[in-house]
Amino acid sequence: MRVIRQRPMNWVERLYIFECLRGLFTTIKHAARGLFRYETLPTISYPEGQPEIRNTYRAKHRLMLRPDGTPRCVACGMCAAACPAHCIFIEATQSDDPRIEKRVMRFDIDHLTCVFCGLCVEACPVDALRMDTKKISFMHRNREDFVAHLDDLVEWDPKDYPDDEQSQVAPGGTKNAEARKVWGMEVK
Amino acid sequence: MDIIESKTWIEWVITIAKFAFCFVPVLYILLLIPMERRGAGFMQDRQGPNRSYIKIPYFGKIRLFGYVQNMCDGTKLFFKEQFAPSGVNKILFRVAPAIPFAIVFLSPCVIPWFGPMVFEWGGQTVRIAGSIVDSDVGVLLLFGFSSLSAFGAVLAGWASKSKYSFLGALRTSAMTISYEVCLGLSLMGLLLLVGSFNLTDIVYWQEHHVWGIVAQPVAFFCFLIASIAETGRAPFDVAEGEPELVAGYHTEYGAMQFGLFYMGEYSHICINSFLIATLFLGGYSVPFVTTETMQAHMGGSLAVLCGILAFLGLAFLHMIYRYSRKLKATTLSNRFEILREYSLYKIVAWVAVAVFVILGVAAWFFYNPANFVVNGVAVGSLATAIGTALIHLLVLVVKSVFFCWVWIWVRWTLPRFRYDHVMHLGWKIILNIALINLVVTAVIAKLVGGN
Repeated sequence: MRVIRQRPMNWVERLYIFECLRGLFTTIKHAARGLFRYETLPTISYPEGQPEIRNTYRAKHRLMLRPDGTPRCVACGMCAAACPAHCIFIEATQSDDPRIEKRVMRFDIDHLTCVFCGLCVEACPVDALRMDTKKISFMHRNREDFVAHLDDLVEWDPKDYPDDEQSQVAPGGTKNAEARKVWGMEVK
Repeated sequence: MDIIESKTWIEWVITIAKFAFCFVPVLYILLLIPMERRGAGFMQDRQGPNRSYIKIPYFGKIRLFGYVQNMCDGTKLFFKEQFAPSGVNKILFRVAPAIPFAIVFLSPCVIPWFGPMVFEWGGQTVRIAGSIVDSDVGVLLLFGFSSLSAFGAVLAGWASKSKYSFLGALRTSAMTISYEVCLGLSLMGLLLLVGSFNLTDIVYWQEHHVWGIVAQPVAFFCFLIASIAETGRAPFDVAEGEPELVAGYHTEYGAMQFGLFYMGEYSHICINSFLIATLFLGGYSVPFVTTETMQAHMGGSLAVLCGILAFLGLAFLHMIYRYSRKLKATTLSNRFEILREYSLYKIVAWVAVAVFVILGVAAWFFYNPANFVVNGVAVGSLATAIGTALIHLLVLVVKSVFFCWVWIWVRWTLPRFRYDHVMHLGWKIILNIALINLVVTAVIAKLVGGN
């Protein structure tokens, strides 16, 4: 056991009044900061001002897209298996692409149950699921709307992820044309 | 009828008008609550309440730097249901909150708000005291009034039939009474030097010798600590110590009954700040300038006053412009709304600055009234007297606002004392220091002054 012994106070500290004055000086410094440098206060006036969120922050999910616009998900069910909150529901179906076995027909994430642990993202073998949308507020009128469906999850704009090469591969991205060439040549 | 006929009508008008000063502590509540809440926020690196607004049609939202919040809180308290738990003593429970608040209107009577107005009217020299009641026992009267507010706490605690309230009331009464002793004793040194209980005389003495804080620094500290303790604010708010006693004597109160306690506390702070400013900081007297000098150069004094006000306006404008620039650079979605509100403040402040500058220049060049001295007192016109009174009042207000800030500052800095420490500090330390100070002052006054 570690015992932390406090240093005994010297006589100036025991007089208390000088320590009081020191404390008062500290608080007046902070008060002056609030008064004269109001914008440096760490508070964000929330609905009007948004906090700055890193792209590693685990926010709302999105499904990555192939160059032709289909979701990258192969409906393996690893994310649903990894999910500790059991909030992912996947239904698979036959893929139109002969190179790919399955595609996802239904992909629902219940954000009322989700704990935002990020295990689904870790589990995904094809890097189809990500949580870097930076959307942190979920506001809906009823409970059903909190369930994100497939069309909701694939609806994102590559322009919002300019530094991410994988996102630029999707339709509308800067690297879509060449990626499509590579992808399409092998199909036909 | 003799008394009434011996006075001119202007004396009566001013004497009655002085009763308006009774409402000063109530007005100070309006100043103190935002000062406390925003000040506390700033000290803790928060912003404080700043979200409430008034919506002006065709203009936008007016936030008044968060001042609107206090109107909202007041309105809410005012319209809430007044609730009394079963088993309380109905009459005392209702009466108790009114006591501290009613005393607020009595206490300002003896404080000198400005120097005695002496002026020429209708061929005779008129002298009007600066306080509502120019009493020779002014200080004692004030102490008497302010200790009456303990009754409110005691009655509230007893009538509530709640153990928390009761213990809080016991603590309040014990603490208020013990610190009353320190309060009175620490003041005695100054009263010894002045030789009068009259507050006007005390201010007059300070104006012509030195301020009380220079003559009696030890007494000033004792008095400050004792008066903080007497108002029952942190770090001496053991009566409301929330870890032990919920909220002390006003645990069972809600709505405006609680509001009255709250307002009573703030008014008590206001009265005590005025008292400290009067006793130790020269009261209404302007630093380094005597009233006679000021009246001899009335135009110049008014010009300096207007200059200071214009400077404050410019400082406010600088802060507004600076913050507007910073706000424009942010991505707040409501920044244009706020900037629109600030543009209104800019217009108001520029107009105020212009008015002050014009008034100051006009006073400097065109207002040089003749004064003559009667029995060593400068006697001028009514306008000079009112100008002097105005300057005096503003100076007193500035000094008292500073002490109000000290109250808030101390509250949000120091941790609460334990109850036995409070008693130890009061009876064994401050009382002894005050007594020693009194003895030393008496000896020195006898040796030096020889009276």
